[in-house]
Amino acid sequence: MAGLATTFGSGAMTNSIEEIGRADVILVIGSNTTEAHPQVARRIFSALDRGSRLIVIDPRRTALARRADIHLQHRPGTDIPLLNCLMRLILDDNLHDDVFIEHRTENFNELRDMLYRLDPTEKAAVANVPPAQLKKAAELYGRANKAVICYCLGITQHICGTDNVQTIANLAMLTGNVEKEDTGVDPLRGQNNVQGACDMGALPGVFPGYQAVSNEAVRAEFSGAWGRDLPAEPGLTILDMTHGGGKTVKGMFIMGENPLLSDPTLEKVRNTLENLEFLAVSDIFPTETAELAHVVFPAASFAEKTGTFTNSERRVQMVRRAIEPIGECRTDSDIICALARRLGYEMNYESSAEIMEEIALLTPVYGGMYHDRLESSWGLQWPCFNRSHPGTVFLHKYNFARGRGCFVPAAHQMPGEQPDEEYPFLLMTGRVYHHYHTGAMTRAGNILNRESPEALLEINPVDAESLTLASGEMLNLATRRGTIKIRALISEQVAPGMLYTSFHFTEAPINLLTNAASDPKAKCPEYKICAAQLEKIN
Amino acid sequence: MKGLILKKDNLVPLLRKIRKGGKLVAPVQNRHGDTLFEVIDDLDRQQLDLEHQAQSSLKPFFFPQNDPLATYNCAEDYSFEPVVSAEPTVYFGLRSCDLTAVLYMDVIFSQNGADTLYFARRKEAILISLGCNQPFAHCFCNNTGSGPFLEYGFDLQFTDLGDSFYVEADRARGEELLERWSYFFTPADEDDRKKQYQAVLEARSNFRRTVHVDPAVKRLAADPDLQPVWRELSDRCQDCGGCAYICPTCTCFTIVDQPLAETHGIRLRQWDSCTFSGFTRMAGGHNPVNHAEQAIRRRFLHKLKIDVEKHGRPSCVGCGRCVDICFGGVDMIRFIAMVNDLKLPAEEK
Repeated sequence: MAGLATTFGSGAMTNSIEEIGRADVILVIGSNTTEAHPQVARRIFSALDRGSRLIVIDPRRTALARRADIHLQHRPGTDIPLLNCLMRLILDDNLHDDVFIEHRTENFNELRDMLYRLDPTEKAAVANVPPAQLKKAAELYGRANKAVICYCLGITQHICGTDNVQTIANLAMLTGNVEKEDTGVDPLRGQNNVQGACDMGALPGVFPGYQAVSNEAVRAEFSGAWGRDLPAEPGLTILDMTHGGGKTVKGMFIMGENPLLSDPTLEKVRNTLENLEFLAVSDIFPTETAELAHVVFPAASFAEKTGTFTNSERRVQMVRRAIEPIGECRTDSDIICALARRLGYEMNYESSAEIMEEIALLTPVYGGMYHDRLESSWGLQWPCFNRSHPGTVFLHKYNFARGRGCFVPAAHQMPGEQPDEEYPFLLMTGRVYHHYHTGAMTRAGNILNRESPEALLEINPVDAESLTLASGEMLNLATRRGTIKIRALISEQVAPGMLYTSFHFTEAPINLLTNAASDPKAKCPEYKICAAQLEKIN
Repeated sequence: MKGLILKKDNLVPLLRKIRKGGKLVAPVQNRHGDTLFEVIDDLDRQQLDLEHQAQSSLKPFFFPQNDPLATYNCAEDYSFEPVVSAEPTVYFGLRSCDLTAVLYMDVIFSQNGADTLYFARRKEAILISLGCNQPFAHCFCNNTGSGPFLEYGFDLQFTDLGDSFYVEADRARGEELLERWSYFFTPADEDDRKKQYQAVLEARSNFRRTVHVDPAVKRLAADPDLQPVWRELSDRCQDCGGCAYICPTCTCFTIVDQPLAETHGIRLRQWDSCTFSGFTRMAGGHNPVNHAEQAIRRRFLHKLKIDVEKHGRPSCVGCGRCVDICFGGVDMIRFIAMVNDLKLPAEEK
């Protein structure tokens, strides 16, 4: 988010999902698209059916990587040297887009100087990728008529997440693959409404529509609408809160989130939540976090409420109440309004349509989004400034949101933790196809839970052999922060020295082990890398 | 039996009468533009849709996705009560492929003793099919022997003749229905019969896709090496099970107990899919069918090879629904094309 906002001026997928199917070259980096974003993967498949080419950059040999024309299986945490190296090769082959760089971007000289100073052979070695393959990838992407880049949490969940994103943006701008249809840079958002949550200002420093809290005019407008003075200082990031030990904040209201399984270094999270003076949790099923709550609000599920979700391609879509809320549960907006009233603030909306009207009033990019417009269509893509605006298929047409695209060169940064003699393995975490986040919903589903009943630790056959390990054996997996028991799965998806598992399972809470090191700008924790050791349980 | 004519204006009045004798199920277009088979409660409010293919088949009516088998109570007064529910139901507007699929399910659910729940519903069912003058985008029932019109198997079959339907009966229950409501119908004359025959002929030439089912079935019977096909399809498969759920002839299920409280709950029969790894995984974790490739293989070979050996015809009815539903394009039409495109060593000579 922070990365693209700096370079392009807007932190969202620049394309529509449909456009990906029409690109000539698709570069997928840090995304297990078939498992995490099947609806995007199907567009990649149709592009491949048409003859488009696919480059996958991923430390794991994922299903998509197996279908790729080129798979660069690099060392985790070396995205910047690898992408810099690609850019250098593109420059050397004169495949960059001079005209685009001249007319649409700024600060190119700084990037160029940095690229000319680096040694491609050395960077290839750092990334542990054969130089010949890199060269092929550079040619493929550099020569593409229309290229898109898709990335996901494999890019952002690093100590250098923001720099990773900016480097991707550099690559796209260098070759002129933005601002035009079927080209662009696409962060794939994981949850049905995570884009919407960000749009609505569920970030520390912004009001809805990414309007900074530090901006006095914006603040005055929101103060006027809400009848209260509003703080000019950004709020706290999630780790500041959940790792604060109960000192940074004294009370929390957690909605639809389960930090006691999803946040890194769970010991700290538990310590914080237990030391809060007051904790309220709202969710549709009981969660690990809810067990610590003083008050639990039973929330209505998607089928029991009317409102909108905003998906990865900035598309705002209606959901409509199909059944009445079951038992005592209430919709999220009902819960918030009732709570606000008890706290002495008269918050009354007669319907979610009325809330949407307030959003349209205060959020320029949502300015034309009203329920009656959304009702009869597949939704509208922001920016959509007024009632007659048709919405926006791809961002930055003819002009970046910030005027010119800004090259922000970045150098390699060492991950927060590296394997060493004591902790020789590099542990990555991610998701599996059958479960959603902490499994609060999916683990309650019989077939889904049967398909994927427990956490599995992927380990390369070479490592398994040296540990005389059989698939299915139980292991103690330890990092500097803790130890969990987990079952081994011998798999060539991971390279030697690498381990991979998911964070869905409360029986093997991997986030007891993960590192709380985080990106200084976006504050996103480095879930993707920590040093680990293994021991067989006899 | 001779054909009869039903004026289109009289269709809704007839259905209204039929509904009084029991449930009526027909394709209905909802306000979001989706056409699904629904129980008709109000013929004036629900928009009958005979123009589009229903997105789902009749499978959920005879074999629901979550089908309660029994209720249990393990408090002091222990009890275990089987649940059987069925009521007389007329199904109107199903297509030839849907009807063929029901006839196939009859065979499957009568193996190893007739399935109580399935046949309770089936015995109460009257099936009125509507032939397809204009096959839909992905239809290939002409090549699976299940349409666009049928010669037998239906209780009644309707053929659209423009301003009227040509109606014929194949089973006694269909004839009873025609007798009961005889004043809605007039006898068909020679001209009507010719028009009906013409509609059937034209429909056969209206298919938009050519899918060579028989050559593929023949090739599969010879056990060719299909490794590249399984590889390609399994890489594309995203393991959602949508194909099995939407397929009118996929009948795999699992049985689970769903507690409703500490002491009582229900035993459910739930749809399952042979492409799921949990379908064959044993308690100790061992899975005799371990790779996605083998799961895909089992699904396609079951439809086009094993069922041909067992029942003399493929269990794909050519409805094309798997083409619409699949994220990755792992559908029957693609599979058949891949099998037919395969260079087989024996044939190269």
